[in-house]
Amino acid sequence: MADSSHEGSVDNAVGAATATQSPSTQALSRVEPPQNESGLFSGESVLNILKLIFAGAPLTEVLTIIARLVEAQGKGMFCTIWLLDKEGKYVRCATAPSLPGFMTHWDRTPVGPDGACCGTAVYRREPVYVTDIRSDPLWDSYRHLVEPYGVRAVWARPLFSSEGKALGTFAILYRDVGSPSATDLQLIENASHIVGIAIERHMNEKELRRSEAFLAEAQRLSVTGSFSWRVETDEITWSEELYRIFEFDRDVPVTLELIGSRVHPEDIPMLNDMIDRARGIGSDFEYEHRLQMSDHSIKYLHLVGHGTRDREGRLVYIGAAQDVTQHRRSEETLGKVRSELAHVARVTSLGALTASIAHEVSQPLSGIITNASTCLRMLAADPPNVDGARETARRTIRDGNRASEVVTRLRALFSKKETTIESVDLNEATREVVALSLCELQRNRVILRTELASDLPVVTGDRVQLQQVVLNLLRNASDAMSAVEDRPRQLLIRTERDEGGRVRLTVQDAGVGLAPQAMDRIFEAFYTTKTEGMGMGLSVSRSIIERHHGRLCAAPNDGPGATFSFSIPCGPASATGARSLGVIGTPAVKDAKRVQGNP
Amino acid sequence: MVRRSLVSVVDDDESVRESLPDLLQELGFAAHAFSSAEEFLTSDYVDQTRCLILDIAMPGMTGPDLQRELKLRRKEIPIVFITAHRDETVRPQVLEQGAVECLFKPFSERALVEALNAALRVS
Repeated sequence: MADSSHEGSVDNAVGAATATQSPSTQALSRVEPPQNESGLFSGESVLNILKLIFAGAPLTEVLTIIARLVEAQGKGMFCTIWLLDKEGKYVRCATAPSLPGFMTHWDRTPVGPDGACCGTAVYRREPVYVTDIRSDPLWDSYRHLVEPYGVRAVWARPLFSSEGKALGTFAILYRDVGSPSATDLQLIENASHIVGIAIERHMNEKELRRSEAFLAEAQRLSVTGSFSWRVETDEITWSEELYRIFEFDRDVPVTLELIGSRVHPEDIPMLNDMIDRARGIGSDFEYEHRLQMSDHSIKYLHLVGHGTRDREGRLVYIGAAQDVTQHRRSEETLGKVRSELAHVARVTSLGALTASIAHEVSQPLSGIITNASTCLRMLAADPPNVDGARETARRTIRDGNRASEVVTRLRALFSKKETTIESVDLNEATREVVALSLCELQRNRVILRTELASDLPVVTGDRVQLQQVVLNLLRNASDAMSAVEDRPRQLLIRTERDEGGRVRLTVQDAGVGLAPQAMDRIFEAFYTTKTEGMGMGLSVSRSIIERHHGRLCAAPNDGPGATFSFSIPCGPASATGARSLGVIGTPAVKDAKRVQGNP
Repeated sequence: MVRRSLVSVVDDDESVRESLPDLLQELGFAAHAFSSAEEFLTSDYVDQTRCLILDIAMPGMTGPDLQRELKLRRKEIPIVFITAHRDETVRPQVLEQGAVECLFKPFSERALVEALNAALRVS
């Protein structure tokens, strides 16, 4: 952007300079007696100087050539060019090609009301033409510096940038007393234009180099590279840092194939998926994938791309890629520690819970068995002790009720108390869950595809509970693929109308699949194949779906992975009382049973 | 009439205190129940008790506390521990301290009889 506007201003300047050209064809390179009548540069000389400027020739060299060219326009004329220093306090002589030793005697002049001609011109922001330095008080302190060269008149014109910032002074020193003629003025004007261009270009270049150096330094510090990708032609440009991150030589042309050669083989499907999407929609993207370097080390790259259209409407992505390896490593360590901790906490609390359930239930059970034993003995006695037996049977029932109360209390502990019945757009509910899980799915390098039916009728139920089910199915699917390395971790979530006025949601993964013997048990509480699982998810999910008068089922895929789906009636027909939904808490019952059976 | 051996039951759980003495009587023992270790210690039954069925976890003095206290008083009553906490580390501890058996609730009549027989053999 900065570059193009800069060029624009140069174009204008060239236009302005050439517009005032005479038809003279004087060549720049030959320093020859000038056409005094015109006092102007030829188009060709201007072009040559501009070429030098834009080829990046050193500023003093360019200024010296201009000075010599001006001097060639007339006899007894010395040209000097002064540059304003950074602080704006002095102008310093940059060239005085025909005044030997001048710059050693007089290298700077203060910018101020009495700074000879060069300092005063900048100060006044207007030309200062001194016809005779011997009588002009401006020269009182400087006269001695130029008199050895036989100088009598000095004509100085301040130089300005295109934004009007003072750059320095262009000054002609003349042997004869006098003021500039119209031709001289024209010459000074034209020369000043070109000198202005040269200085400004030089400063811009310096500024550009400085900001480029800043940017490169910032990129290096933040291990962030930038790129652009012209989708139509697959033309890709990288910043230096990106070459460094990918560990490619700077002179290697960047292609998608080259990038692919560094991307971790397991992440190639995700990259392809990303590229396909990016080509299609042209909206912003954000991805994270791994690089596999030539020494087989792994880097994690976080990509952010912003899609824009050029004037012809072609898609161009501008983006940044950050090497987040360090970050990811510490996060992984933290995550591992955290999950281990969570597992320990869960096992501990589960252990404590089990012990407490065991104790609570064992007490009445103990009474039941003892009473029943007593009862049998009393009945077996001769004669049978019927009254005693009746009493022990009564106690047996009481203890049975006590055990049942324990179970009820546990159930209350596990169940959700508040239930809200409302119309639920399952698509919207699903989108929310997907949005919440997206980060985690991406981290697990899951490629998520959503196929949400556009004509899906609303269902009636508890939105949050249904979202819990969807979240649970997504998590399970993602977890089932966490060890999959030989194929894309594809996850499909689909909603559709089902037969019989029902709505179906399907979650299909490409994970480890379901073992036939596991099929019967997966919906049981505490059944789990995961190290960190408590085995409650599917059991709770099934309860929720059943309370919505639906069915949750699982089936192995033809290929790898498994498919879980539920279907629930749509519309107000599926409305159920809050009370009936509120009883979701059956896992507690199962807890108790399992604890009893397998303590 | 042959004097029946007295089996004392110490348990804070009421259903045990209600049910176990009846069964013990059906099995041919005299039985008495106490709701705490302190109650048993201050009663007149300590010296008569041929076997003690003792709950482990109780508020106040625990089963093992009572076991130690009886040892200090040189009352060598065989002890059968009963507990609803299936803590496998407790059993060897109390057995090492001289208990005859440690039963986990709920226990069967058969297990109880075997433990009582062992206890009375010891005495």
